[in-house]
Amino acid sequence: MSFGRPPSISVGFSPAPPDRGSFPLDHYGECKQYMQAYLDCLRKNGSNSTPCRHLNKDYLECRMNRGLMERDDWKNLGLNGVGENSVAKDNPKDRPNAQ
Amino acid sequence: MNHLRAAFLRPACRAPWLAPTLPTATSFGQAHRNLHHFARGTWRAPAHSLRREFPSARRTSWRNASTDSGPSSSSSTPPPRGSRPQFKTRQELYAARNRSLLMYTTAVIVFGIGVTYAAVPLYRMFCAATGFAGTPKVGMGKFEADRLVPVEDAKRIKVHFNADTSDALPWSFVPQQKFVSVLPGETSLAFYRAKNNSDKDIIGIATYNVTPDRIAPYFAKVECFCFEEQKLLAGEEVDMPLLFFIDKDVLDDPSCRNLDDIVLSYTFFRARRNAQGHLEPDASDEVVQASQGFAGIEMAPRVEDRKKEDNSTSS
Repeated sequence: MSFGRPPSISVGFSPAPPDRGSFPLDHYGECKQYMQAYLDCLRKNGSNSTPCRHLNKDYLECRMNRGLMERDDWKNLGLNGVGENSVAKDNPKDRPNAQ
Repeated sequence: MNHLRAAFLRPACRAPWLAPTLPTATSFGQAHRNLHHFARGTWRAPAHSLRREFPSARRTSWRNASTDSGPSSSSSTPPPRGSRPQFKTRQELYAARNRSLLMYTTAVIVFGIGVTYAAVPLYRMFCAATGFAGTPKVGMGKFEADRLVPVEDAKRIKVHFNADTSDALPWSFVPQQKFVSVLPGETSLAFYRAKNNSDKDIIGIATYNVTPDRIAPYFAKVECFCFEEQKLLAGEEVDMPLLFFIDKDVLDDPSCRNLDDIVLSYTFFRARRNAQGHLEPDASDEVVQASQGFAGIEMAPRVEDRKKEDNSTSS
């Protein structure tokens, strides 16, 4: 972090803050059904994250629409190119392109 | 020769000592002789006063030069002091040369100082533009868009979730999924549920920890709910999301080669205000450090405590 500091604390020791800070609390449960859909998909797919990424996008879209998250490009959130269809199996269309 | 003398007397912006270089001089010898005539014409004052008031004498010499009817004044008088005018001219010549040398030297020094000052930002700009000498390209660092692309054929890593609360916090805090299997570089959501079981509004603050330690530099959270206060009203239940990813550089790290499972552990504490007015976990320092994985480490990072004698600050 600072040049010339004695090497006592490595990167692994210092907790790094999240890039965008903290999610505002969803006090009214406005995006609860999207969360439920995502959790069900995870359960169906053996907790494999890749087939359920479009549901990630739906949930974050819900948050952005209701002011519970700052609107941002999908590529900055790593969800660029994730398909919108609700196919649970691993579908090539679901895989995000490498930009 | 008189007309040549007149040529030397007329120009207002040229020094008499530069007369040899004037284009009107036919030859150096001729010009030199003319210079002497000119000098003779101007240095009418005695020698000692000239030396004392050197610069002003030079200026008056110009005035004399422009207004003098040159040819008539200096044509008939022989050189008043044989080699003296020559000496004064040479002094003037040297003085002029010294002055120009001084100007050049000063300019070089000023330029050198300026370059020294400008070198640091200029070098930084150059390095940032070209990435020379390993300068990192600073965009969003490890959260740049092209880092958040999953590595398709890599081995999946299971991220297990764990949740704890401090004893002083009457909340129930559980993860909503036991684990998620992710690819390196793939952003993924995870959810925790927190319920305030008491009848008061409580502000909680969470710390987190990733195990094992060698994955910690690669575990990055895009957005979460930790380190900032989370206020839950009495009896309220909320879902707390967490957007994270494992940096794809983990594939290049030899110590992380056999890593299949990692544990992400969150601990919620009650929040209190410290001496600086910031919210911090309301628990003893050891407990907070233990929740971040620094249990039993002497040199663990600590908040600097400047008012040790004041007992009201954090223990």
